[in-house]
Amino acid sequence: MSLLRVDGLNKIFGQHYALSNVSFEIGPGEVHALVGENGAGKSTFIKIVTGVYAPDGGTIAWKGKPVHIGNPGDARAIGINVVHQDRHLIPSFTGYENLYLGLSYPKGKLGVGVHWKEMKERARTLMETYGVKLNMNKTAQRMSPPEKTMLEILRAMMLECSLLILDEPTASLTDQESEQLFELIGKLTQAGTSILYVSHRMDEIFRLSDRITVFRNGKHVATVNRQDTDRDGLISLMNDNEYKKANREERNVPPGKPVLEVRGLSSEDGKVNGVSLHVREGEVVGIFGLAGAGRTELLETIYGLRRKSGGDIVIQGKPQSSASPRSSLDQGVVLIPEERKRDALVLGMSIRENITLPVLRKFSGGLKMRRKTELREAERWMADLKVKASGAEQAVGQLSGGNQQKVVFAKALISSPVLFLCDEPTQAVDIMTREEIHRLLKSQADAGGAVLFVSSDLQEVLDIADRLYVLHEGRIAAELPNRDVSPEQVLAYCFSQGKDRES
Amino acid sequence: MTEARRSISYIRLIRTYGTVMAGVLIILAFSLLSPHSFATIDNAINISRQISFLVIIALGATLVMAVGEFDLSVGAMASMGGVFAAKLAVAGYPIFFVILLPMLAALAVGYVNGWIVTRFKVLSFITTLAMGTIIGGINFRITGGATVFENIPDSFLYLGQTEFGDIPLLSVIMIFMTILFWYIMTHTALGRKLYAIGGNESASRVAGVRVAFNKNAAFALCGMLAAITGILMASRLGSAHPNGGDGLFLNAYAAVFLGMTSFKEGVPNVWGTFVGAAIIGILANGMTILAVPTFMQDVITGCIVIAAVLMQKLGRGNS
Repeated sequence: MSLLRVDGLNKIFGQHYALSNVSFEIGPGEVHALVGENGAGKSTFIKIVTGVYAPDGGTIAWKGKPVHIGNPGDARAIGINVVHQDRHLIPSFTGYENLYLGLSYPKGKLGVGVHWKEMKERARTLMETYGVKLNMNKTAQRMSPPEKTMLEILRAMMLECSLLILDEPTASLTDQESEQLFELIGKLTQAGTSILYVSHRMDEIFRLSDRITVFRNGKHVATVNRQDTDRDGLISLMNDNEYKKANREERNVPPGKPVLEVRGLSSEDGKVNGVSLHVREGEVVGIFGLAGAGRTELLETIYGLRRKSGGDIVIQGKPQSSASPRSSLDQGVVLIPEERKRDALVLGMSIRENITLPVLRKFSGGLKMRRKTELREAERWMADLKVKASGAEQAVGQLSGGNQQKVVFAKALISSPVLFLCDEPTQAVDIMTREEIHRLLKSQADAGGAVLFVSSDLQEVLDIADRLYVLHEGRIAAELPNRDVSPEQVLAYCFSQGKDRES
Repeated sequence: MTEARRSISYIRLIRTYGTVMAGVLIILAFSLLSPHSFATIDNAINISRQISFLVIIALGATLVMAVGEFDLSVGAMASMGGVFAAKLAVAGYPIFFVILLPMLAALAVGYVNGWIVTRFKVLSFITTLAMGTIIGGINFRITGGATVFENIPDSFLYLGQTEFGDIPLLSVIMIFMTILFWYIMTHTALGRKLYAIGGNESASRVAGVRVAFNKNAAFALCGMLAAITGILMASRLGSAHPNGGDGLFLNAYAAVFLGMTSFKEGVPNVWGTFVGAAIIGILANGMTILAVPTFMQDVITGCIVIAAVLMQKLGRGNS
């Protein structure tokens, strides 16, 4: 008997079918992966089975009986819980308090005060059951990304939970942190909980799932057993066109002049500690490191967002006396930040206004903005990058994640950069957009630009970097030309504390 | 389906222009109730003069709200503008300095507001509340707590009391200021940057916008506009009271909030603020003509602000 079964599920937004005639089932105790490009309908599906949206047609059966899930409370009551990509924790609350969000606190003898002891006891049993080690006295804001994810999963398990939906759970985790999560997933399924696992990451999907369901353009394409398919097979199901395997192609890097030279760079907060590196014209350089290694901080210090306490930054032979985002942009340095919505886009503003924000000077003649020139330029970049939108005046907040990321790139390209700093450029975008972004970075390098990017996805670094640095605790642990480098080698440097380098 | 879409576009229309429509309805209602006193050219001119102070001070509040901050010191700053200018006028300074010095002083105080907020990351709410208190104290010190009205030269009264034909200079200044700041906010790089900062400060910083500099500029301009309001009031009344401008503060924000419900959804905008200030002014004028007691006027004005904000939520659903 299936745990959850949907039949002919429809959801219409305007005239657009977000889901059309979707039918499949999830069995008890299985890890069921749900894949598809951005906009394939995965989020819509999750929102329907968790009671956020009402379906426009179709039926849902839970443990064999038809159910009506009218609101998120209904979903939780029958045992469906979701852990989202953006975490739903209250930053200033401790682990215990977050665990009990939305539940009634156990009461003390008088029936008023909170019975903290009982609360802690229950949390402890829960953690023991699933083998999670977590300091629950910490506030959520002081927890690391994996700790927060664990906490959210524990919270879902506070009530009887038969189906746990994980939406891109590893998006902000490093490989090593993801391992902890996978272990927990194993324990959950052993205890009989089913997992609906939504992810873009192929290796995880193949490692974890029993069955895989593919959505495309709101339709259910196939549900396959893991053993019966492979990466390429899955990708061709997700995509109409034949997909070419993303292998690293050896690029011929001309021995160009250095665009960026960093010597002994340290940040005031100590997150970056004496880093020296360089990037030459026509080169794509990757930085890999575990979470907390100072990857983002390094890029931010180079860009001038973070104060430096020592060291030199030289761009095209010119030493930068005082780094600030403005002066970096003027020198032809752009930063693609990791957190798109937080640091890269003004969601309420139009695509045009976002693209031209770094180069407003270019469009202001005297006092007045030259609107027509601005619009033409914005539209040209939208066409170049194939941004799907109703027009340049559409608010960026209304676009899909992949298209938002393209706007971010347009915004970077408009200032004709010589150096691209990219922080997790393909985080949470679909595989096609990811390919496009990779191509774009390479073409920047081919045109004589320099690219320095950070990724927590080792595969990505090995796929597109010509050379790579391994960062460990704010220092460079290794510099490797990307020739026959194995993931194990790179990871070894991450854990080796850079001992062999010291000499 | 087309029907559903039509009703959605009606809702959008109401959301975007509802406040303007409500303003028109209010004018119609007063015109019907009081055709001979309210609905006259003379009264329209009168209203335009009455709202000029509110419009100008609210323009400043609009700038600061556009960058996502508050300036609660605008009332005290207006009072300061008034008493400072009046004192200078009485002391016999040339009219040019009488107007310029208070404006510069308020520009500086506004800048300090911004500097404290941006440099030390203090909430603008707290900073400007305290600054308002400080300025209020200084106002009392300057005047000894008394209204400045003796020996004010006629040259100082020119601004507030001149009329071209029937049109008061005050109304002309108000229109000029509104157009000027509408232009700045929508047609210049400065305006774009202010809105970008209000929309997403962090993203603006990454995009090379000098956030602190632009925020300070918004606070400084806001202070200056408040001082201009105070100077004009003192010139109009021929006197300046150490807290004469304080009462404008709440209405200024009511005007901005009303304005945020029109034209551009949820974003402070210049014409919206103008409409908001006009609605508040028209209500006050009309209700006074109809002899509505003052306390009732306050109750009604408050209700209308809440109603306008609720109307904007129309059709939003729960998402």
